[in-house]
Amino acid sequence: MKFRELGIRRLLQVSSGLVIVGLLLETVSLLWFHPLSFVLFAFVAATLIGLGILLYLVSLVLVVTPEGNRN
Amino acid sequence: MEEAARGLVIGILICQIALSIVLAAVFLIRPSLTSAAGWKIVAFIGLCVLPALCIVGGMNTHVQRSEQTQFCVSCHVMIPYGKSLYADDPSHIPAQHFQNHRVPPDMACYSCHADYSIYGPLKDKMQGLKRIYMQYVSTPPNPITIPGGFKNAQCLHCHLGARGFEENPVHAAMMDSLKSNQTSCLTSGCHDTAHDVANLNHQKFWKQAQ
Repeated sequence: MKFRELGIRRLLQVSSGLVIVGLLLETVSLLWFHPLSFVLFAFVAATLIGLGILLYLVSLVLVVTPEGNRN
Repeated sequence: MEEAARGLVIGILICQIALSIVLAAVFLIRPSLTSAAGWKIVAFIGLCVLPALCIVGGMNTHVQRSEQTQFCVSCHVMIPYGKSLYADDPSHIPAQHFQNHRVPPDMACYSCHADYSIYGPLKDKMQGLKRIYMQYVSTPPNPITIPGGFKNAQCLHCHLGARGFEENPVHAAMMDSLKSNQTSCLTSGCHDTAHDVANLNHQKFWKQAQ
C-alpha cells in the first residue's frame, strides 16, 4: 500500500473524528437552553465541523492531484 | 403551537445530526471504503454536505432561540428585568407592552431591543457576545446600560404611522425631534418608567391566568 494512500485515509479518519465531535457538541448545544450554548455552538462545534469538512476537501484534492505534481 | 413547531425543527435537526454522525463513523472505522465509486459519493454527503447543512440549521435554530424572552432571562443578571415585565402598573412601558401583547410575549425583549437596521441582527449578536464575556469573564455593569442609549427607532419601528401615535398632539409637535433621536421617548415626564428594577421590591405584580 502506498504511503500517499495511507495519508489520505488518515486524513479521512481525522476529518470524520472532527465532524463527529463537532456534531455531538452541536447536539449538546441544541438541548441546552442557556446563553453559553450559542457560544458552544458558534465557537467550538461549528469550528470543529468546519475543520472536518476542510480536511475532507483537502483529502479530495490529494486524491485527484497526480503524485508527480505534488512537492 | 409555536413551541411545538420549534421542537419539531430541533427534532428534525437532531435526526439529521444523527445520520451525519453514523455516516462519519463509518469512514472513521473504515476509511478504505472510499476506494469504491459509490462510497465516494456517500463520503461526500456524510463528510461535507450533511455537516454543512447541520451548521446552517444549528445557526438558524440558535439565532431564533436567542430572540426568545426565556433565553434573555436565563442569564442571572437579566432575571429582574424579566420580572419587571409583570409589574402591575400602567406607567411601566415594558410591562404594558408585554402584558397587553403589544409585542409578542415570547419575543418581548427582542421586539424592543433589536436593532432594526440592515446589519442590526449581526450587531445584536456581537453585543450579545460582549454581554456573555462580561457575565463570565469580566464584570457586568451595575446598573446595566444599553451602549449608545435606547434609540427611538426601536419604538418608532411599530408606532410610526399608527393613528393613536401620530394624532397625539404632543407627539405631533415634536415628531422631527423624535425621528432624529434628539428627544428620547424615555425623556423624563414622557415614557420614563422602563424596567424600574431598583424599586422592584415595592412593586405589585400581575399574575397571569393559566
